[in-house]
Order: sequence, then C-alpha cells, then structure tokens
Amino acid sequence: MGGYEVPRKFPTTVIGSYPKLPEAEEALRMRRSGRVDRGKFRELVNSAIQGVVGDYLEAGVDVISDGEQSREDMVVFFSENLRGFTLSDWVRVFDNVYFRRPVIAGRVEWVSPVTLEDWLYATSISRGRPVKAIVTGPYTIVEWSFVARRVDRAELVLEVASALRREIEKLVEAGARYVQVDEPALSTRPSREDAELVGEALRRMLHGLDARKIVHICYGRLERIFEYVVDYPVDQLALEFKNSNFRLLPYLKEYSYSKELGFGVLDVHVTRVETVREVLEAIEKLMKLGVVGPEKVFLNPDCGLKRLPREVAKAKLRNMVEAARKAREVW
Amino acid sequence: MRVWSSPLGGYPRCRYLRRVLRDFEQGVASRWEVEEAVTRASATVMGVQIASGALYVCDGMLDWHDIFRPFVEAWRGVTPGGLLRYFDNNFFYRIPVFVSEPEASHLVLAPRVKRFLPLVEPSKLKVVIPGPVTFTAMAENRTGRSFEELAGRVADLLAEEARKAVEAGAELVQVDEPVLSDPDVSVDVARLSAELCSRIARAAGARTSLAVYFGAPSSGVYEAVLDAKVDYVAVDLATSPARAVELLKSKGFGGHAPVLGLVDSRSILPDDLGRLSELAREVLSGYDGEVGVTTSTWLDLVPYQYSIEKTRLLGLLAELLAQKLGAELVRGGGV
Repeated sequence: MGGYEVPRKFPTTVIGSYPKLPEAEEALRMRRSGRVDRGKFRELVNSAIQGVVGDYLEAGVDVISDGEQSREDMVVFFSENLRGFTLSDWVRVFDNVYFRRPVIAGRVEWVSPVTLEDWLYATSISRGRPVKAIVTGPYTIVEWSFVARRVDRAELVLEVASALRREIEKLVEAGARYVQVDEPALSTRPSREDAELVGEALRRMLHGLDARKIVHICYGRLERIFEYVVDYPVDQLALEFKNSNFRLLPYLKEYSYSKELGFGVLDVHVTRVETVREVLEAIEKLMKLGVVGPEKVFLNPDCGLKRLPREVAKAKLRNMVEAARKAREVW
Repeated sequence: MRVWSSPLGGYPRCRYLRRVLRDFEQGVASRWEVEEAVTRASATVMGVQIASGALYVCDGMLDWHDIFRPFVEAWRGVTPGGLLRYFDNNFFYRIPVFVSEPEASHLVLAPRVKRFLPLVEPSKLKVVIPGPVTFTAMAENRTGRSFEELAGRVADLLAEEARKAVEAGAELVQVDEPVLSDPDVSVDVARLSAELCSRIARAAGARTSLAVYFGAPSSGVYEAVLDAKVDYVAVDLATSPARAVELLKSKGFGGHAPVLGLVDSRSILPDDLGRLSELAREVLSGYDGEVGVTTSTWLDLVPYQYSIEKTRLLGLLAELLAQKLGAELVRGGGV
C-alpha cells in the first residue's frame, strides 16, 4: 500500500460518493430485480470502482474513495447489510427520483463486513494512495429510516453505533488509515441534545482505533451546534463551506478550531465547475483567518459527488487539485 | 362544538404514476399520457380522503416535484436552481432563483380546481399554496430587492392564485408556512408572514388556513401568527408534542379555529388514536368552537400505502375525538 506520499500541505480528498458508472447502475438494477449472482455483481462493481479510481488518479486526488459504487443510497446500503432492517416501498428524494427508505424493525446488529470488499478493491488499484473507509453514521441511519420499533431514539442510535464499530474495526484491521463517519442528518436538526448524542456515538465507534478519524457533516445550521461538534473525538471535521458561501468560517475562529479541517471548496449541487482561481480564493479566505495551518487543511468537495455528471465531477476535482498545487507554493 | 378532518397536503405517487413520469422524462410517454395518469392517481387519493370522511380534500399535488416548483414554472423572473434539503427531511427541493421581479405567465391553481372539482363530491376542495415567507426564505434572491419586498411581490402573485382558485370553486385556501417552525425565525419575520397571509386571505374571499409544520413554532412566532386574519391556524403536534401542547395551552388560538396536526405523517408506526384524542382534549380544554384534525405535515414523505393508512386513521381520529368531546362530527357532504 505504500509508495505514495500524501502532500504535507493541502492534501486533496473526496467525501466519498462519485457519479454511478454504468456498470454500477447495471449491478444495482440487477440486484434490485434479484437477477444477479454474487460473482457477477462483484465483477460489475469492481469495474465501476476501477473507473472511479481511474478518474481520481487522473485528476490527481491524494486521498481517494471507492466512489460508493455499490451503494444504492448511503442509508439503504447499510440497512441491506446490517441485521434488523427491512426496506419500505419507494419514497421520493427529489423530482421523480426515489429511494427505498429502510425500516428498523428489529435489533440492529453487524453480521459480516459491509464495505470492506469495495475498500480492499479500491486500495488494490489506488497506486498507493490512501483510500478512505467511509461509513454512514448511526444518527443519520436512524433519522433517515422509519422506525417500526417502540424504542428510545438515543438508545437506538447507540445500538447502531455499536454495530458500525464492528465494521470500522474490520476496516482498520485491513489497513484503513482514514476512517470517515458521515452524519449529514445532524445539521438538519441542530440541537444540543442531538449533537451530544452524535458525540457519544462517535466515541463508541472510534475509541482506541489506530486511524485518522473523520466526521463529515454538511448543510443545515451547523453553527448552532458547532461548540459541541468541535469537541467530537475525531482528528478531522470534513465540512461543507462552498455552498453556504463560507458561512461557517467565523465559527472556526470563535471556537479556536484546532483539529484538521476537511475544507469544502466545491459545491456539489451545481454543475458549474469552480475555477482554479475560485478555489484558491476559498483557500485564501481560510488562511486569512489564521486558525489552521496548511498542514491541517484537506481540500475536498462539500459533499459526495454522486448527483453530478461524471465529467463535471472530474473537472471540479481537477481544478481543486490544481488549486492545491498552487496553494502549496503560496502558503 | 364541531370536529372535522382534512389531510394537510400532498400525497406520494403510486407506482403507476412514477412510471409514467419516468417514461415522460425519457421521451417515451406523451404529455397527454402524463395528464391522464395524474388525473387517475389524483382521483384515487381524493377518493381515499372522501372515504375517510374528510371535510376538505386536496388533489394530492401528485405532479408537483416540490411545493414551489409549479409556481416557479408558471412565473417569469424565477427559475428552479440546485437541490437543497427540505427542512430536516431526506427530501430535496429545487431552490427558486429569483432574478427579477416575478410576473405570472399563467395560473397554477384555478385550472387544477376546474379539473378536480368534479371528483370531490361530497367533500369540499381545498387548494394549498406555499406561504410567501417560506417561499422567499427558501429561495435565492438575486433581484436586488429586499426580502420584505420580494416576499410582498410573491404574496401578491399567490393572492391572485388564491382568488382565481376560489372563483373556480375551491372552498378552502391553505397557506403553508413551515419555515415559521424554524427556531431561528424572528418574530418580525412571523409578523411579515401574518400580514402577507392576511393579504392572501382577503383576496381569496373564502375560508383560509395558515399551516405551520415540521415542529412547533416558538412562543413569540406563534403569537405573531395568531395576528393573521385567517379562519384556521394549523399546528404540528407530532414532531415535538410536549412543546406544541404547552404552546397551544398557554397561548390559545387567538380567535381562530385550531387545526391540530395530530397524525404523524413522517412515521410509519400506526398512531395511537386514544393517546392522540387525549392530547387533543388537553389542548382544547375550555374551547368550544370548531376544530379540525389533520396530519402533522404532507403525506408525501411516507410510502404510498402508508399515506392511505394514515388518511384512514385521521378519519377514525376525528370520529373518536368528536365522540369524546360530545361534538358534532362534520364529514364531507355533511352526512
């Protein structure tokens, strides 16, 4: 796995998801209709991961992901692979696009590795670049599922966290050095109670693990709970900045932010490709704050790239990487 | 005392309609086929509401991609932009991007009313519009005008929509202001909402309702909402029941008839009707007027079959509540 040195300043990375490649679409379609054997599914997904990793390498991203090609949806995927879930009928996500919202119907337990195969395959073709191991957080899984059990919500979140801990342990045992927990649901209900619950869940999932620990949160009103989030037991917060016009920046200063920062410089909700200059200006905004040095800043898109056309996603990454290269010359 | 029921708003699309819309997007179904599918699917969800005994029935808004979209598409000066999360739901709407003062190029509601009115018998047809403050707050304003000015202009356009919808036969205009449940919303913004909703109500010239959901508003915001010159104020009691009950008990209804969002339309668990009717009794203690029961929000956040079940439960809840309160149950058609 060695052989690639992640730049000391402004390393570039991704949050995780990438536009679904046709092979992945086919694999998911076949799996949904029950017409696929495991070998064929793996073949299709591996082919898609190969395409994604190829794009990342071509763009020059330092810390990559498997592109979440086998994940129909960030919550559905885990619900299909952890015990305790069933799937509901289709629920709309936007326009005429739907997902099968999971239903938590029984005790949630880890049964066997969920993400490991994809991570291992991506790692095997990453030419030494580290591959982030990414799991959807327990709070988001619970929030974006229907709960068909009469159970205390906080207890349920911690129950899911315990199940995910087993998954993360497997990933770290396999060599994952970057472990990211995605909690996008947190910022939609930014209360102290929920922020503290997520902190407790992260402790349960990440305590004592020998890896760089990251939590990704995006959109919503994160500033309302930032004072709790900054104390999370992680090395890095990977946050959305670009879409909200860097609204969070002053809060980094206010709370004397000292962890690594995953700095969202690409808006994944628009197809317009940010220019290199634009990304550099974003970096400059952060540097001017004087809160974190370039060694602690990872550049990444605001969130997963899955909703963008592939060429747009790739072009955005390319410009981000180029901006990072230039930024290293300045700072 | 009189009790009636009415689901708050939109329904999910059935499999058939999803497929036709997808075929249309892929160019293999015609606009006519879409219209036909929407009419059929709407007739079904209207029938479900009528069968539940709902006094006011909506058409389900099955062809709306989000609450703002039909208006954005019907107005000049605003276009649908990128996706953004819709409150705390795993659902995304397209941000309305206002680039100049909006002007209506065609009406949204009146043609729908004409289309669906024949299907509503013996209930009454209600139309639902986004509140001007929610519309503006969730949009991108590139017009150079202030928030208040743009919201005022949006209110004018919506008022005309409401007036024409009533002319066409709608009997209730519901104005949705979910943004007022946001803890960050100021009392001033709530006052603006109340003023603009009053403007819409005046133009409508029929019964009007102001609905706040995705949580209970703060005390100050609720007080401002009560200044709106509308007939009904609808409040979500399912998202944070204790807070909502406390709010309604302490502040009352300000001369409006309350519409209680009791049936949880974001959960698939069957609602405990006994508990909900007790909750309603607690809130209504000392009140002896008209009361509506509704769902906590639109029903389009649960799968189709649950939206049908929740509608049935809503009808049963109205019956149970009327029984417990010794009130008259007003069903569609007055049966």
